[in-house]
Amino acid sequence: MTAPVLTAPRTAPLPPGGATLPRAVHAEWIKLWSVRSSGWSVAAMVALGAGLTTLVCALVAPDLAAGGTGEPVGAFITWGLLFAQVTAVVLGALVVTGEYGTGMIRATLAANPRRGTVLVAKAVVLASVLFVAGVVTAFLGWLGGNAFLSAEGIGISLGDDGMLRSLLGSGLYMAGLGLLAMAAGLLLRSTAAVVSVVLALVFLVGNLVMLLPGALGEWLTKLMPGNAGSRIATPETFNPVLLEPWPGFAVFAAEVAVLLAVGAVVFLRRDA
Amino acid sequence: MIVASDLTKRYGDRVAVDGVSFTVRPGHVTGFLGPNGAGKSTTMRMVIGLDRPTSGTVTVDGARYADSPAPLRAVGALLEARALHPGRTARAHLRWMAASNGIPVARVEEVLGLVGLESVAGQRVGRFSLGMGQRLGIAAALLGDPPVVVLDEPVNGLDPEGIRWVRTLARDLAAEGRTVLVSSHLMAEMALTADHLVVIGRGRVLADCSTREFIAEHAASYVKVRTPQPGQLAELLRRSGADVVRDGDELRVQGVDTVTTGELAAAGGLVLHELGLVTSSLEEAFMTLTAGSVEFAAAHPAEVSR
Repeated sequence: MTAPVLTAPRTAPLPPGGATLPRAVHAEWIKLWSVRSSGWSVAAMVALGAGLTTLVCALVAPDLAAGGTGEPVGAFITWGLLFAQVTAVVLGALVVTGEYGTGMIRATLAANPRRGTVLVAKAVVLASVLFVAGVVTAFLGWLGGNAFLSAEGIGISLGDDGMLRSLLGSGLYMAGLGLLAMAAGLLLRSTAAVVSVVLALVFLVGNLVMLLPGALGEWLTKLMPGNAGSRIATPETFNPVLLEPWPGFAVFAAEVAVLLAVGAVVFLRRDA
Repeated sequence: MIVASDLTKRYGDRVAVDGVSFTVRPGHVTGFLGPNGAGKSTTMRMVIGLDRPTSGTVTVDGARYADSPAPLRAVGALLEARALHPGRTARAHLRWMAASNGIPVARVEEVLGLVGLESVAGQRVGRFSLGMGQRLGIAAALLGDPPVVVLDEPVNGLDPEGIRWVRTLARDLAAEGRTVLVSSHLMAEMALTADHLVVIGRGRVLADCSTREFIAEHAASYVKVRTPQPGQLAELLRRSGADVVRDGDELRVQGVDTVTTGELAAAGGLVLHELGLVTSSLEEAFMTLTAGSVEFAAAHPAEVSR
């Protein structure tokens, strides 16, 4: 290896700079795309979401057109998101747990000891990427799925009731879900733990509470994060109990905000 | 300049750092020396705000690290070689760090060259050897061209050439007027690198002095004498106030020098076969000083006492 020749610090000083929020965002952006798991997560979201939506539309289009199923057509047009959301949870978890698992968190906090700034930067990058990925996934799913629906004469145009909102809503729901996983990551610090807990909450608990009797079961069903938040991502729903799209999303956003706040408090106080 | 005052860190019941105060001055390499578990790493983590002190303060050039507008330009730290994501390339690791503190991208290539990693900069660091990881960690520490450099066990995992490289690097950085704090559990290494030593054991400062003073004070020496009449010579020496340990025909004498020993022997008409001064190694001095403060001591068979 070469002998060290140090650049003289006094003769060629670096231009001035500070660890500002925009720079923290830039740093998180570089971090996100310089590990393979991020690209794979986003690719998996698009492939799963758009692919499964197209597939399910292709399979059910003839029956739907014949009116044999009794299901609303609009409930199928973003159907793949049901599975694609797993990737949002994984990506959201990795943004934090990937750093705790490897010890990277120390490098991150040495580079910027203002932990609030670090957290905001992580959230901004994660939410932006997932929003765009969610919208693109839903749009591609609509393109693919609608081709089959249109062929049967039951196509949904972008101008139809709730369709445009569902595309944007897919992005919003993915971003929110990613932030939920990120918040859980701040508390649990382990990828496996976060992914299992968040997926159990969204898939398992969200469906189990439907079995509870009476108003309690109904309201718990309405308020569970996955149920409240996902309604905005679809023009129509299989589940008549759910809250309306925007009120549901407001509930979901509030839940995410609370968990993020708790995660932030723990993160600000904990030794790295 | 790093100033720690009354720095204390408790983890539950365990006191990792116990009221530590010291000053690390610019222009010198200060060695931070102590057995494993003595509290070196905890102290260094508190310097850059990763761990919050239970009480006490530590400042870098008069300010808390967290208040520095561009921290990487204030302090460069190598805390653990493996504070890296294994899936990221060396270059990407330095790039995000540079971006976070507004350091030009060109500086990334500069430090990669400085530590000799240009040729592997595009490789994922998960495939790096321990030594390459250390070099990358040092590159990261130098990225912001900081006036203060903190290196925790930098020679771990390095080959002899790498060890010499780190030694030269630390001295060069100090010669440029920077404040350099280097930790190690190896006394011999520190004796070669550091001008000043802060020795800690069980979270307390045991010594804070120049390396030369430390050696003079703690590297104990004794007079070694071989004589066919050890009993008689031991008696003479003891009478003049020396401590004597006999081992066959050999005496180990402390409290008098070689001249006095020789003269006493001559006065008593005793024959000497050998007379000399034995200086114990620095490593031994360090072991003696920290003997009571080793956290995980192996059970030794009774050692030869002096």
